[in-house]
Amino acid sequence: ENREAMLNSKSNRLTEALEEANKLFDGVCRAREAALDAQFLVIASNIGKEKANELHSEMSAFDSTAFAEDLLTFMGINRTEVEETDDSEDVPGGFLPSDAWQTMGEEAPKYFRRAPTFHYMMGSFKSEPPVPKQRIERQKKASRGKAERAMPAQLKKMEESHQEATEKEVERILRILQTHFENDPNTPISFFDFVIDPNSFAHTVENMFHVSFLIRDGLAKIKLDEDELPIIEPTKPSGRGEEESRAGARNQVVISLDQKEWK
Amino acid sequence: QVSELVQFLLVKDQKKIPIKRADMLKNVIREYKDAYSEIVNRAGRTLQEVFGLQLVEIDTKRHTYILINNLPRAEGNYLCRNKEKEKMGLLLVILSFIFMKGNSVKDSALWEFLNLLRVYPGKPHRVFGDVRKLVTEEFVRQKYLEITPIPLTDPPEFKYQWGPRAEKETSKKDVLNFVAKVRPFWGHLWV
Repeated sequence: ENREAMLNSKSNRLTEALEEANKLFDGVCRAREAALDAQFLVIASNIGKEKANELHSEMSAFDSTAFAEDLLTFMGINRTEVEETDDSEDVPGGFLPSDAWQTMGEEAPKYFRRAPTFHYMMGSFKSEPPVPKQRIERQKKASRGKAERAMPAQLKKMEESHQEATEKEVERILRILQTHFENDPNTPISFFDFVIDPNSFAHTVENMFHVSFLIRDGLAKIKLDEDELPIIEPTKPSGRGEEESRAGARNQVVISLDQKEWK
Repeated sequence: QVSELVQFLLVKDQKKIPIKRADMLKNVIREYKDAYSEIVNRAGRTLQEVFGLQLVEIDTKRHTYILINNLPRAEGNYLCRNKEKEKMGLLLVILSFIFMKGNSVKDSALWEFLNLLRVYPGKPHRVFGDVRKLVTEEFVRQKYLEITPIPLTDPPEFKYQWGPRAEKETSKKDVLNFVAKVRPFWGHLWV
């Protein structure tokens, strides 16, 4: 009670109340009374803190009203017109435009280090297919829904493994070459036998592409045999001496193969 | 596991509500509990290196985390959603007020100030709707503001302070820059 009166910085009521409490405490002999006294002290100290705050803010010269006015100005308030609408607000006149807070919104993010919200580009997983009218339609839609759900997952995985796919292929081919060589150490494979896929031209080209990586990295080499036909064999994994890799002649060969020849 | 956790954190962060360790354990880590701290560390590194986001523990007792942006601020618009930006505008205004008033204000003082800006707790706002709910619930849940009751007040009064997310996402210096920008010649009056 009388909190406002006590807060008034001009009043001494807080001090008077404290003095009175002191006097009363001498007469206290019951625990309950002591508890009341303690409660009073808590309230009194809170009020004291508030009074101190009021003092402080007067000296720091921060004027909330002026700050508010400045904010309104910033947001584009038009002070020449007086708002004559049915909301009779008793605030100083001025028309606050509807994009006022948008203006503030343009300025505000510059002061925050806010993590941008994350959204899937391909849409969320929970895409319930719309309830169809006929059974047949429902089945079709259900399977499509699943495909869509699988797609975001797949697409993400592909993104990541795009790089790796090529490497994996290259490794696979190297292993095939090495296995063949383990079985038959002295017969290099005919290059064409190795890369050509009788069933698919595109696949053949892919194979040649992967083999070219092996050559580039020095993991395999191509030589010409007696018949002047290219053969391919894996290089022995002898120490990675720099001289050795430079000794291997690096030749560039352009192989052109078109579909007719392939056939 | 790490990439699962990274995705989990990114999605959970959409609402800007802090992420609890318990949730992380339950939904992502499950059987790998022993490797928990290692997984979290690696996830943090991924977030930093790939997305430029920092995973910060804001409550070491209850183990809650938030994501903040670790990249230097870029010029130009990057948050396209207007609603979010407007809310941030209101938040910035509130944070500035609290700061200028000595880091803690009574609710009555805050609402008195907001009234001057034509924002009223009882009246649905054209832009913000239920402002009281936005300020006392949403901003508090996101840890931008902290509201504590003042003891033994009747009717109960509350004091408003900066929440842990506000402390991490912005700084007193930044907010002071804002105040100075709005009122150009105040900056020199006090430190």
